[in-house]
Amino acid sequence: MSSVVIPGTATAREATVRLADVSLVTVVALLLLLAGRAEAVCVEDDQHRTVCVDGPARRLVSLSPGATELLFSAGAGGQVTAVSAWSDYPPQAANLPRVGDSNRLDLEAIVTLEPDLVVAWVDGNSATQLGKIEALGIPVFWLQPRTFTDIASAVERLALLTGHEDIGAARAADFLAAMAELRNRYRDVPPVRVFYQVWHQPLMTINDDELIGRAIRLCGGDNVFGHLPRLVPRLSTEAVLEANPDAIITGGEDREDRRWLDQWQRFPELKAVAVDNLFLVSPSLIQRPTLRMLEGSEQLCQVLEQARARL
Amino acid sequence: MPGYSRALAVLAALSLVCMALSVSVGSASLSVGDTFAVLTGTGTPIQQTLVLELRLPRTLTGFATGGLLAVAGALMQVLLRNPLADPYVLGLSGGAAVGALLAMMAGVAGAVVSGSAFAGALLATFLVFGLAHGTGSWTPSRLLLTGVVVAAGWGALIALILAMSPARQLPGMLYWLMGDLSPAANPVPGLILLTLVCLLVFPLGRSLNVLARGPMQAAALGVSVRPLEWTIYILASLLTATAVTMAGSVGFVGLVVPHMLRLVLGNDQRLILPACAMAGGSLLVLADTLARVVIAPEQLPVGVITALLGVPTFLYLLYRSR
Repeated sequence: MSSVVIPGTATAREATVRLADVSLVTVVALLLLLAGRAEAVCVEDDQHRTVCVDGPARRLVSLSPGATELLFSAGAGGQVTAVSAWSDYPPQAANLPRVGDSNRLDLEAIVTLEPDLVVAWVDGNSATQLGKIEALGIPVFWLQPRTFTDIASAVERLALLTGHEDIGAARAADFLAAMAELRNRYRDVPPVRVFYQVWHQPLMTINDDELIGRAIRLCGGDNVFGHLPRLVPRLSTEAVLEANPDAIITGGEDREDRRWLDQWQRFPELKAVAVDNLFLVSPSLIQRPTLRMLEGSEQLCQVLEQARARL
Repeated sequence: MPGYSRALAVLAALSLVCMALSVSVGSASLSVGDTFAVLTGTGTPIQQTLVLELRLPRTLTGFATGGLLAVAGALMQVLLRNPLADPYVLGLSGGAAVGALLAMMAGVAGAVVSGSAFAGALLATFLVFGLAHGTGSWTPSRLLLTGVVVAAGWGALIALILAMSPARQLPGMLYWLMGDLSPAANPVPGLILLTLVCLLVFPLGRSLNVLARGPMQAAALGVSVRPLEWTIYILASLLTATAVTMAGSVGFVGLVVPHMLRLVLGNDQRLILPACAMAGGSLLVLADTLARVVIAPEQLPVGVITALLGVPTFLYLLYRSR
């Protein structure tokens, strides 16, 4: 939109004024556009894909209990509009609308909520289902924390996407500092050989790369099946008897559920049974990749301390 | 019947070899000497636990389960005069699975799961019996159709339970459905039942042979067909229910072992039934040994291995018999 300017005439004056208006509008528009660009936030998710939101995401949907916790830790609890089943922490998450179980999501419910960010979980959610959500233009942030640093970084990145950069950075730093302190405290203690039981039938454990495995090492424990290649190996009872651990630890199915531990009493020749080193650790503290791993690790370290004393 | 005794002697030897192998290998390394020492009453406490409390009961459970399934399969094939019949064709494993999975879903373990599976198997048996028996006019094909449709219903319920269960329950449920010996049930009832049914072929064997040729011929030869058929049905169901209670629904053994033996030994039920007991038992024990050691200390469900071992063996026998 341009006008021809003929100096010295009334039309020319008018035209000049109009031209000035137009330029002003253009500049403002350009500025707004630039400002908009500056507000678009991009981070890399755990699948190394770039996830962008236009300005802080305000309507979040979490697709796993762990993701829900991480979003609340990132300071974005108030922006979470819906969660997956079993999202029971923090308590206010339990009252939010549900969009199905982690592995069977209700896509319609998610789309109806018009979220501007969906937080998914690599080990639990279906990539096909989330592909459909992305095709509809909803950004998806995939989580797959495998280390304590991953957890902290997930909190930071989610805080960035949701406009709580400071809270996220602070909580992530606190978490890592406390973990480092635990590591220092138990650096030189004599190792305790540990078997961690994830499930009873089939009998399952974790290796050194799993988060619980890392927590065990942090506390000066030596996971007897840490060297196995699979993250969650399935074992025979015989393998446990041969490994003959100093301590057997489990989350059990619930807090205060000692049934799995009682089953080991059948084998009094096991060292862990002989010295009564059979322990429960709250499963929701240690089996979820969230900032509560700190509390879980502290519990685990205390338990291992007791175990060490009985050897 | 010198040929028969020789076949049975060979199978008995095979059974013993398989069981010996199963007791002496595992993820813990015990030498043959150590195992022998334990069996003769010496050895360290941990070696004794390994062999006497873990491997031996598991081996015997495996043998009983495999034997029961193979015998039940052979009986079902005679009853339905259908080569595709197996112990599960009439929906018995489906009923048992629904029972077991519901118990697992409720978060219980061990004996309650087994009991619930047994109850489900009996329910399935009586359901099919009642429905097929209902109006009086009864034929094996009517029984087969009733059973197959009821089985489809159980299948839908199983899928429903799997879909409704929390993810962490699923590995246990899938292991049950694939057949798994690690829960280490008590082998004694299964072994007693297996022995009893092998003894039963002495009075029943001739009638079974006649029945296998068809109900008309059997009736003409003086066999009271209907009671015999119901006896077979109840007997096969009881065997299968016991097997499923011990190890979940181990597939394949009940279908293929009877066929394998018929290809090699001919179709005399007096020989086939005891032969099934031993060959089925051996196959399952061997498969379970592999399941325990292939990727030790990690474990596979035994049902996977029975099929992987059985399919090529069966195809070879079929090919050779042309």
